[in-house]
Amino acid sequence: MIHLLLASIPIITPLEHLARNALDWIHTHLGLSWAWSIVALTVIVRMLLVPLTVKQIHSMQNLQRFAPQMKEIQKKYKSDKQKQNEELMKFYRENQINPAASCLPMLAQIPVFISLYYALRAFAKNPPPGDLSWLHFIPNITWHANAFWGGYVLLVVYVASQMASSLYMSATADKTQRYLFMLMPLVFVFVIAHFPAGLVLYWVTTNLWTVGQGLITRRLMPRPQAPEKKSSRTPPKDEPGDGGENGAQPKQPAPKPAPAAKAAPPRRVRRKKQAGRR
Amino acid sequence: MSTITRAPSYLGVGLVWAYRMTFGALFPTTCKYEPSCSEYAIQALRKHGLVRGSAMAGWRLLRCNPWSHGGHDPVR
Repeated sequence: MIHLLLASIPIITPLEHLARNALDWIHTHLGLSWAWSIVALTVIVRMLLVPLTVKQIHSMQNLQRFAPQMKEIQKKYKSDKQKQNEELMKFYRENQINPAASCLPMLAQIPVFISLYYALRAFAKNPPPGDLSWLHFIPNITWHANAFWGGYVLLVVYVASQMASSLYMSATADKTQRYLFMLMPLVFVFVIAHFPAGLVLYWVTTNLWTVGQGLITRRLMPRPQAPEKKSSRTPPKDEPGDGGENGAQPKQPAPKPAPAAKAAPPRRVRRKKQAGRR
Repeated sequence: MSTITRAPSYLGVGLVWAYRMTFGALFPTTCKYEPSCSEYAIQALRKHGLVRGSAMAGWRLLRCNPWSHGGHDPVR
């Protein structure tokens, strides 16, 4: 039903041709089978998106630095979700945080997905010459994933890879939302089971790329230091209750509050005296 | 009359809902803006009609990139 609706959109045909031509080129020039051509095409697309995703991972690490403060905001406005969101957004802006997730990179994936979907449907109608199987357990990439046992293996790999990539890419500090994203593939696997195996292969490849990229960037790029402003202004001695409640508080740099604490006492004494005279 | 003039925007809202049910669910992501891009699109379409609402939604999508800061950005 949806594909009929999508097919009526004039941009779909050129997209399908683009995917078909790209797959044709990889298949003939690199000598790869059709399934490996899909993997190669996915890798090429993801390589083109590397600058974008590296930026996203940087932002995500930046976001993790502020996790304790964000958790506090979430606790404070637990009952009012909208207010909570607004306060979080304000916090982002005040601290120059650039939240990782944004809609544009996600939307960039959709044309690739649609074009591959239609290209594979065309493959099923008019099978191209050449090997359509993959690694001996997928006899034909144009078959639906639930039509053969190898497809089920692929679906299991899809669920695992999707969960792993959600773990890496969902930058949200909201635990329920994170769990929801993690559980999503378990629900959608029933829909995806009706998709061509080649499309599931694309999905698995892109997810594994996401996970690999996440692992590599985390290793190569050291996490930025925890923030020194604001947090250093709340000395742990004065407000033991607040600091004690938050489990993530010890992660704050211990030596940094110390200089602020040294400088603070004389000022406080003066203020108290002035207040007493008045 | 107002229902007739608003009809095209309903079509736009329907498309956003279709997106939410399909790709929005298949490619889960959290938006950096508040309200989220799809919610913004629905509000813009309802408030400003199909043409202006779509343009506003498109502009918001372009702004929702890894280099922007996000934040509270309601439909005006």
